[in-house]
Amino acid sequence: MLRRLPEWAVTWPKLTVALAIAATMVFAAWLPRMRTDTDPKNMLPVTSDVRVFNRQVEQWFGLHEDMIVVGIVRDDGLFDRAALEVVSRLTDRIVRLPGVVAADVTSVTTADNVVAEAGTLSVQPLLPAIPDTAQALEAFRHAVLDNPMVVDRLVSAEGRATAIYVPLEPGANGKEVADRIRTLVSEERGDLRFYVAGDPVARDTFGSEMFRQMAIFAPMAGLLMLVALYGMFRNLALAFTIVGVAMMATLWSMGLLVAIGQPVHIMSSMMPVFLMAIATDSIHIFNEFYFRLREVPDRRRAVLETIDTVGAPVRYTALATAAGFGVLMIGGIVPVRVFGFFTAFGTLVIRLMSFSFIPAVMMLVREDRLRRASRHESMDAGASRSLAWLGRFSVNRPRAVAVSGVVLLAVALVGLPRIRINNNMVRWFKPGSEVRVADAVINEQLGGSSLLYVVASGPGEDALKDPAALRYVEAAQRDLEQEQVVGKTTSVVDLVKRVNRVMLDDRPKQEQIPDSKTAVGQYLFLFGMAAKPATLNTLITGSAERANLWVQLKTWDAGAVEQVLTRLETYQLAHPPPGLRFEPAGIAYFNLVWNREVLRDMIRTFVTALAVVLVILTASFRSWRWGLVSFVPLGLTILLIYGALGYVGKDFDMPVSVLSALSLGMAVDFAIHFIRRYRQRLADDADTSRALLWTVARPGKGIMRNAVLFSLAFAVMLFSSLTPYITVGAFIIAMMMLSAFFTVFYLPALIVLFARREPTDAHAAAHAGTVNPVVGHGRT
Amino acid sequence: MRVRLVLCLIGLALSWPALPEGPRRLLAQAPPGANDIVARVQQAFYAPGKDMKARVTMTLLSTGGDKRLRDLTMLRRNGTGGEQQYFIYFHQPGDVRGMTFLVLKYPRRDDDRWLFVPALNLVRRLAARDSAQSFVGSDFTYEHVSGRDLESDRHTLRGEEQRRGKACYVVESQAQEAAEYSRKVAWIDKATWLPVDEEYYDVRGELFKVFTADEVRDVSGHPTITKRTMKNVKTNHRTDVVFADVAYDVGIEAEIFSERYLREPPRRWIQ
Repeated sequence: MLRRLPEWAVTWPKLTVALAIAATMVFAAWLPRMRTDTDPKNMLPVTSDVRVFNRQVEQWFGLHEDMIVVGIVRDDGLFDRAALEVVSRLTDRIVRLPGVVAADVTSVTTADNVVAEAGTLSVQPLLPAIPDTAQALEAFRHAVLDNPMVVDRLVSAEGRATAIYVPLEPGANGKEVADRIRTLVSEERGDLRFYVAGDPVARDTFGSEMFRQMAIFAPMAGLLMLVALYGMFRNLALAFTIVGVAMMATLWSMGLLVAIGQPVHIMSSMMPVFLMAIATDSIHIFNEFYFRLREVPDRRRAVLETIDTVGAPVRYTALATAAGFGVLMIGGIVPVRVFGFFTAFGTLVIRLMSFSFIPAVMMLVREDRLRRASRHESMDAGASRSLAWLGRFSVNRPRAVAVSGVVLLAVALVGLPRIRINNNMVRWFKPGSEVRVADAVINEQLGGSSLLYVVASGPGEDALKDPAALRYVEAAQRDLEQEQVVGKTTSVVDLVKRVNRVMLDDRPKQEQIPDSKTAVGQYLFLFGMAAKPATLNTLITGSAERANLWVQLKTWDAGAVEQVLTRLETYQLAHPPPGLRFEPAGIAYFNLVWNREVLRDMIRTFVTALAVVLVILTASFRSWRWGLVSFVPLGLTILLIYGALGYVGKDFDMPVSVLSALSLGMAVDFAIHFIRRYRQRLADDADTSRALLWTVARPGKGIMRNAVLFSLAFAVMLFSSLTPYITVGAFIIAMMMLSAFFTVFYLPALIVLFARREPTDAHAAAHAGTVNPVVGHGRT
Repeated sequence: MRVRLVLCLIGLALSWPALPEGPRRLLAQAPPGANDIVARVQQAFYAPGKDMKARVTMTLLSTGGDKRLRDLTMLRRNGTGGEQQYFIYFHQPGDVRGMTFLVLKYPRRDDDRWLFVPALNLVRRLAARDSAQSFVGSDFTYEHVSGRDLESDRHTLRGEEQRRGKACYVVESQAQEAAEYSRKVAWIDKATWLPVDEEYYDVRGELFKVFTADEVRDVSGHPTITKRTMKNVKTNHRTDVVFADVAYDVGIEAEIFSERYLREPPRRWIQ
């Protein structure tokens, strides 16, 4: 069908264009129904083990999945009437915000605190009222800094920072709540500084920013590409065609995605960029078309000959790219599968357009303008000349060139093991950004914004009232606090010790665990009678079968969580627990699992995709040797980029793993074009060296054009405010330039060394050519 | 002075339409009935008889299916001028068996509360923190158990309605003093002066707690809610309460409500 299509298209070009636009409009009609899902958490389904267990833990302890931390800092100390008034007022106002769990907002004015006052046991907010005398202020300072449950959690040890913990209702948007809080604090005057941090802030800010920036940068990249294309082909219509094909493919894929009821996830929001990258492959068609136009007087014949020549490589690159993305569907992560499927679909749409829409446009563009523009096209012109020089070097000194490749490979392989698989969403923002600064300040001044739960389970009811169990939990807490990244731990033990002290005349040395289980039980009951039920419930279940150890971390690094959990395991090995089991939960643990599952899954499927691409290359050339040779530019590019990541010390995180998939679509194209065209050439000119040099200079020019064009367009992303976009930009530039260079520089040498005497199916290609009556023997 | 007054009036006039329900609330002046209704409810709900004894079982049900039991004997005695005394003895949970709790309630003043902790053989005075405080970890607050000062809310009669087959007054109470709610709507049974349903709204005006009287029995001429439920609709936590062996005017002695009896609970009243 694909053979007939171009003929049909050049015969009825207007109808073809009309049909393409009509079909696009049908797909685009679905777009208004688009639902977006900006939550990276949904990369793991709600039914995944970690999310199910986290929900279970939330139920046991009445916890909330998401929490915002508002840090308030005053350099001269917080023990100041005006400052405390601000904290109090701000808490009152935050409680009223939509999306906030009003009852569980924790600050110095709401947190339960157990104190003894003149023989009366009192559970009251740490700061029930603003102290109005210097003495009262001093008493408050003493009460705060004397209470281990408060220091570093609610108030910093130096008394300069305090935190308001703001839990969110399920489904509330962290960015929206954070924005409202920022509005509230902007209305405060005085010498206080405010910082809004926490996982939901970073996550939802990133989610919405990502969509926003995609909406800015994808069109900008498209526009730049348009300008560059015009510079190359000096014909606006043709330049528009390439960008138009990318847009049509995007609309078809997105439309279909929406039509089958899928939400547009972060991953699929990247589709326009990917499809634009893949669509640039059409440059090869135009490149060849301009050469042909100078050689063949009849436009119709020039178009058909172009398609016939470029058709095979274009088909195979499409197949390889589509297969590469299609393989993403074997992974376990649903949004990645959706992304893989629809990008593969988009790739096929682009190819369909290459054989229909593009030849049709070539027929419709005014011929005199085309001929005038194509006059500049010559193999002796600047770019082609330097390419020819490069090719000569590679053909004449194949061994030296190959050795340089081996050296590069070795360098890459040394760097590769240094890659750290780690994800830290806060680092997706630039160092000076509001999100990142807030996180840094809170981590520096207070216990930390990242929250890990460690659930201790005993053998039955009341197990966690046993003093032996509590002592073990306490010892484990002290051990975990040795870890650099751990800023603060809080458990029911702290509470029991506190009540014990207050019951026994508030003597500091009584801050210890009582000796009997009954006493612990009565303390907890007593506390429950006086405090908000939630305060007790977040630390221990009603049955006392489980207790919750809060571990605040000073970083969102998934690696840090791993470190803490390893330490806990080591501790348990050295000190066997008295019938207790420890299980991690909470957002920090979720991030670790997410990191493991999503990233590992991506790496697994990516490697599989590479293997599939290799098989397809081999099959398309019907030779392992040619398959391997054509795989070299892709393989070397990928290894080199990841090797460099290892050297630079940049984490292999989510954005980088997404980008890996991009290389599937790009780097392999160049090699396919190069080898296909070389072998076609060989049918006309049996001399290997001459054929190689021709390939470097003519299709090679298309390859370099493709690479430069795309690098240029995506250089705009380097100016993004989100680091993953900067990564995308840098990655694309590196990938395009390296793989293009490797293709024109290494392939000639490798062909000379390994594939010169390999029986090619060049004759078959020539044969296929004669089947087409239009082309006949018309090769130059 | 006069200028300020005029400015105030102008300000009020300008902001009048902007106030949510402001005009309606002020124009629909609380009919003289609202406060009377609430006063009668207080009497029927929290203070019938000269004294009362009951075995109270509270079942705390969490969303996760966790079930906790609070089993206690409650003794109440009405003092003079609206004062009340409560003596509570805990039978369950097991590790607090023998714990006793004394509450002396005064109108328009904080309660006095004492607790006996058997494990330490110690009586400790507890500060009454605030009215929103949970009663033994349940969804009921202390105020739900012993009542709230009439003057702490502004009461408005919202109308009359059939509610679960009973002719009811609908009374809305806006918190004027600290409370766990900002607004409460109660359906009061005209026949018994007991609430049939109550809805509690939080600071954001969102419904968060619902009270239902599930069973009302006549005990010695006093209609008594013997089964009640408080459900937190935001957390889905729920507390079911059953009042059993309710008896009024049994002659509970005044001296029982003292520290001595906290340590040695009166066997006569507590089995």
